Amino acid sequence: MKERQCEVIRRELDDLTLGDEGSTAVTQHLRECGECREFHQKQTRLRQIVGSLGTVEAPPDFDFRLRARLANESSSAGFHLRAFQWSSAKGFAAVAMLLVFVGGVVYVRTISNPPAGPVAVQREEPVKPPVKPVEDKVVAPVQPPQVALNEVSDTVARKGRGTERVVRPQKRTPVSMDFSSERAETISNSSRQSTIFPIDASQQSFTVSLDDGRGNARTISLPTISFGSQRVIPTRANQFTQKGVWY
Amino acid sequence: MNTLTTIDELAFAPPLQQEVLEDTTSDHALLEATRTGDQDAFAELVSRYRNQITSYIYRMTSDYDGAVDLAQETFVRVYRARDRYQRSYAFSTYIYRIATNLAISELRKRKRRKLVSLTGFFQQSDGSEPQELNPPDLRPLQDSELVDAERRNAVQRAIGTLPEKYRAPLILRDVEGRSYDEIAKILETSEGTVKSRISRARGFLREKMRAYL
Repeated sequence: MKERQCEVIRRELDDLTLGDEGSTAVTQHLRECGECREFHQKQTRLRQIVGSLGTVEAPPDFDFRLRARLANESSSAGFHLRAFQWSSAKGFAAVAMLLVFVGGVVYVRTISNPPAGPVAVQREEPVKPPVKPVEDKVVAPVQPPQVALNEVSDTVARKGRGTERVVRPQKRTPVSMDFSSERAETISNSSRQSTIFPIDASQQSFTVSLDDGRGNARTISLPTISFGSQRVIPTRANQFTQKGVWY
Repeated sequence: MNTLTTIDELAFAPPLQQEVLEDTTSDHALLEATRTGDQDAFAELVSRYRNQITSYIYRMTSDYDGAVDLAQETFVRVYRARDRYQRSYAFSTYIYRIATNLAISELRKRKRRKLVSLTGFFQQSDGSEPQELNPPDLRPLQDSELVDAERRNAVQRAIGTLPEKYRAPLILRDVEGRSYDEIAKILETSEGTVKSRISRARGFLREKMRAYL
């Protein structure tokens, strides 16, 4: 019972502000209980010693150092901001340069490799002696092809579906097409009616350019044409003679 | 022109003016002025609290130079967070809370550093506390002033051995003279916990300061 009372009194003594006497119950108990009185004396002494520590003063240059620190912080914050802006500007520049580079590459590739549009093939008049126009529409595929095409675009196939018999190529099989009803409007030779093309025999290859008149052109290179021993050799003996003409 | 008709009006007039004057120079008003860019207002706040905060952190850490640095860091944080400050607490509570957190953080850093410190080599084989490299001279001094100084050093060292959760409330109560309510707000705990921790801290100190009591 007494211990319980001492505990309560000591707790109240602990909560007291230094110098306060406390309640009458505390005062009465301190008069009667020697242990609590000793406790109170020691506690008061301890609190006096701790309280005597006092306040330590800040150094005289405290304000100066604090101002310098704040100024340094604000300037470093500005530096961080500038660094961020600079780095972001560099990033934007790098991205812009990359975009320009990629765009340039695409442009150059577009220029150098124009997209292959639908190929329109126009038959050129075969080099053969008769001037007589072709009457039949269908050319038998078993015959030696007049014009052999490896590939025919779908566009041409669809467009010519009504008038032409189109054999779709499969695995690059030779296809014969009859373009007798559609004659090419333009041929390289100015003499349209003529089937004779003067060719410079010094050329090693024979190139035919076909144009469907809609802007689609195809150039076909043929290997060097020879007729065995009859290969035409340009003769320069007579400059008025037509060069490289064969019949 | 207003004329005083009773003695009561004469008695109440000056306190009203005093209240208005105090309000313009209160901590809240100074921080509000700081928020708007008034550097002088912040300088006034610093001059009000620099010694208290430096002293408090010094009592917590027992290192004057470190305490000055942490006190400056406290003011830097107050300045940085001036726009986020809320007037729900007293400014003193706010700044002491920042200082307490900084001091406790410093004590924890020291505790981690202590693991590899040289004091480990001087630890006694019986498992008792390690001796310091520069142990205090426990011989009694002649002059009473020196005796007081020695007693203060002893109590400072004894406080330094307290766990941080007991150290802060004890210093705030017995050195700084703060109320239990304010200490509870600073430490963000209940008033009962504060009282309990202070009682435990005094018990520890009584044991360590037995020779001086």
